[in-house]
Amino acid sequence: MTRRADILSLRLRSLFRRGRVERELDKELAFHLAQQAEENIAHGISPREARDAAQRALGGVAQIQEECRDMRRTNFIETLASDLRYAIRSLRRTPAFTAIVVLTLALSIGANSAIFSVIQGVLLRPLPYPQADRLVRIYFQSDSQPKFPINPNDFLDFRQRNRSFESLAAMTRHDVQLSGAGDPAMLSGFQVSAGYFHLLGINPARGRDFSAEDELHGRGRSAIVSDRLWRTRFSADPTIVGRTITLDEVPFTVIGVTPPAVHHPGNTYHEVAEGETVDIWCPFDFGENTKDRGSHYMDAFGRLKPGNSPQQATADLSAVLAQMATEHPNEKGWRIYTLPLFQETVGRTRNLLLMLLGAVGLLLLIACVNAANLLLARASVRVREIAVRSALGAARSRIVRQLLTESMAIALAGAALGTLFAFGGVRVLVACLPAGFPRAAEIRLDSGVFAFTLGVAVFTGLLFGLAPALTASRADLQHSLREGGRGTTAGAHHASLRSALVVGESALACVLLIGAGLLLHSFVNLLRADPGFRAQQVLTASVTPPYEQYRPGPQRTQFFKSLIESLQNAPGVAAAGVGSDLPWTGYDENLAGWAIEGRPDEYNSKTTARYHDASADYFRALGIPLLRGRSFDDRDTHDSPHVVVINESMANHYWPGEDAVGKRISFEDHPKADKDWIRIVGIVKDVRDLPDSAGLRAAFWMPYTQFQDRRYSVVVRFTSTPSVAAAQLRQAVRQLNPDLAIGDLLFMDQIADAAFSGHRFALCLVALFALVALALATFGMYGVISYSVNRRMSEFGLRMALGARPCDLQRMIVGQGLALAALGAAIGLAAAIAFGRLLSSLLYGVRATDPLTLSAVALLAIVTAAVACALPARRATGADPLRSLRSE
Amino acid sequence: MSKPSDLIHGTLDLLILNTISLQPQHGWAIAKRIQQVSKEVLQVSQGALYPALHRLEQQGWIRSDWKVAESGRDAKFYSLTKAGRAQLQKELDQWERLSNAVSQVIRLAPEPSA
Repeated sequence: MTRRADILSLRLRSLFRRGRVERELDKELAFHLAQQAEENIAHGISPREARDAAQRALGGVAQIQEECRDMRRTNFIETLASDLRYAIRSLRRTPAFTAIVVLTLALSIGANSAIFSVIQGVLLRPLPYPQADRLVRIYFQSDSQPKFPINPNDFLDFRQRNRSFESLAAMTRHDVQLSGAGDPAMLSGFQVSAGYFHLLGINPARGRDFSAEDELHGRGRSAIVSDRLWRTRFSADPTIVGRTITLDEVPFTVIGVTPPAVHHPGNTYHEVAEGETVDIWCPFDFGENTKDRGSHYMDAFGRLKPGNSPQQATADLSAVLAQMATEHPNEKGWRIYTLPLFQETVGRTRNLLLMLLGAVGLLLLIACVNAANLLLARASVRVREIAVRSALGAARSRIVRQLLTESMAIALAGAALGTLFAFGGVRVLVACLPAGFPRAAEIRLDSGVFAFTLGVAVFTGLLFGLAPALTASRADLQHSLREGGRGTTAGAHHASLRSALVVGESALACVLLIGAGLLLHSFVNLLRADPGFRAQQVLTASVTPPYEQYRPGPQRTQFFKSLIESLQNAPGVAAAGVGSDLPWTGYDENLAGWAIEGRPDEYNSKTTARYHDASADYFRALGIPLLRGRSFDDRDTHDSPHVVVINESMANHYWPGEDAVGKRISFEDHPKADKDWIRIVGIVKDVRDLPDSAGLRAAFWMPYTQFQDRRYSVVVRFTSTPSVAAAQLRQAVRQLNPDLAIGDLLFMDQIADAAFSGHRFALCLVALFALVALALATFGMYGVISYSVNRRMSEFGLRMALGARPCDLQRMIVGQGLALAALGAAIGLAAAIAFGRLLSSLLYGVRATDPLTLSAVALLAIVTAAVACALPARRATGADPLRSLRSE
Repeated sequence: MSKPSDLIHGTLDLLILNTISLQPQHGWAIAKRIQQVSKEVLQVSQGALYPALHRLEQQGWIRSDWKVAESGRDAKFYSLTKAGRAQLQKELDQWERLSNAVSQVIRLAPEPSA
């Protein structure tokens, strides 16, 4: 211990009492010299010679001093400080150079930090639940359905019989209308099974979680409200627990309040984005009918027992499922699919984010190459300065270190400025994130991001500083001093290194441009594809008439009929209708195993289609063309024979070469009576689930008079202005029921826009990075060609004297640049083809080797290179033949 | 770094530690003494001596104090610390092992034919 303390005090002394330590060293060496001289005198040598001999014996005092300083171990810090001072002084002398390099680095480091902070917040940080790694999502899966919701009775069996879960919970979307607390409002709500919050590891801030009691049939009149709802709607009433509130015109008792910012884990059936998106939870009533195994509408979650893997859980639940299949013969064709909640929540963003990280990484490399190039150019000007320093005894390692300190100082300054950019950049980035991007609220610059930025800065400093430092320090001393800094050999070496850097830079820029080009091409494909509907001038909103007031059947039909009529009678409304959902919002209902009249059971067991319900003018309002037959009309009432409208894909797939209109399908297992059959009356044009969905799927619509949902989307095609249409819609609903809340008031083109937002986001960012990259590469090209022209001015003069025309010179110089650009483009294209498949999951209708994009990028690279060379080339033609002749 | 051309690499530390183990000495006297005791066989180059002394001091093996030398001038005297004494013993043992091993190898090696 004492030794450590000794060492520490010595180091501190060397560092902070440097003058004294140095004086002592001088004194010590002087004493040595004096002793030696005295001895020499004793041997009979004259005092003067004695001193010289002693000096000779001791050797170079300065060297010994330097070595003794090295031994003090603090030399490193002292050298660093002096190198840093020197670096700052020399960078200040060239403010334009410093500003350009620091700024380009700051932009690219800032871009990296911003993208990394998204990755950190979304992909690296665990979900905001205790032991979140033990949370999994549970789905059914079949040959036609990759992820299917769970049936409530199946869930009960899983919950009872599984062995690998600490607990299971299920939820289903159940928005409710809150009245009696301010204006009526639609609340984003869920019905959940008992212990739902416990499973997530959330303890209510007030009151309690749902218990098994709440789940019992007929009991479910209790509710847990979110902290936000409690504050905004109930003014943070401390006596809220036990209070009665009115939901869907029915009294409910509040039993709990969640802590602030409770994170909804996300769901897929009638999806609500994850995050702080839910206002209210009520218990799910499992009912008394345990026979129903056909309707699937619950999102299931599980918390694994410690040490159990999702694979074990899948095996466990599959065993339960096999058991259930023997008890309920209908339960066939299903498999269990479990996946970690984390993967479910953020998995789909992974490719996008990694692609963006790759893009900013490339941008950083380009900025590095650019900085290296500028440093090289600067080094060739500083040859003399470096030569003088080495003549004065600086070792090569010492000069390299000095130059690296300089590049490190640049990189750190870039990182500091870049962090400021990142602060702004992250805000913009989060604001521009595609609709429904998970965990957007958790994105921020934290210590992890700062550490990443610092690491990037050090890495960049070494990367762009090393080659120029090594090259510069190699300069031939005598040559440089004699030639007064013109050092032709070193210059030639610099020039070839700089050409190589420019080739690298163009190659990297090409890779980014190709990425941007492919994304652009696929975006254009998306925009150009026929959506199957017309999104312009369509207003939509959701209306959920409370169950108690508008029971399914004639009551509910009457409500919507009046609503549609009043809308259609409003001036400026071209068409109005209601439907269970809207185009390009994914799908929630898929029906499998429906029967086609006259087909064998075997065939019918494999049928599958999206199903919806709608009013007569739903298609007209959305601009979905009717291709054959008719839409619904007044003939299709609750009591009339059941009818259905199908889409093109369903007609082509199940009735190829036939006319599907007039054919009949059935949802019954064994249809016998006429009323079991549903007749196809019309065929409408296809609309994809989402604009970038891989394929077209079969789909059908029932009339809302014959099959009814809880929540409906109202669609209004208007010829007036958006605000007039919105006012008309509000008015129409208010007239029917002043207490009814309207939700999700959106224009169809907004919905369509949101469906494109992921593609647009990727395209905009990559295109931005690619443009910056192109600018940097062009700038680098200009620098190299311009430098080479300056060095060759007298050569050009000679050439002109020998009869070269200005256009010959220009051709020669531009040719030199084009050769570099072509080489860079070739390398970039090869790299892009090699890595293109990494991008393929983000592309639509374009292959990664798309020849159009590749050739366009190559052309762009060549053209910008030619532009970069044009200015230096013009300067070359100004060479003066007379001066060249005189100087040679 | 120091280049102890006249000494087997690494033995300079041992020699210094051993020389000052009896009494504190200044640099010049240390060099002189090594030279004398080894009957002029071992020449400590001054360029190696002082960096070595500073290194040993930085490692906490030796300590320095300014005292008046016989000549009447102020000189920096080096003495062993407690840790340095232990270090000396370690280096002595190591040297013993090494030199034994080397001499054994030499003795066993076949005589070069004259």
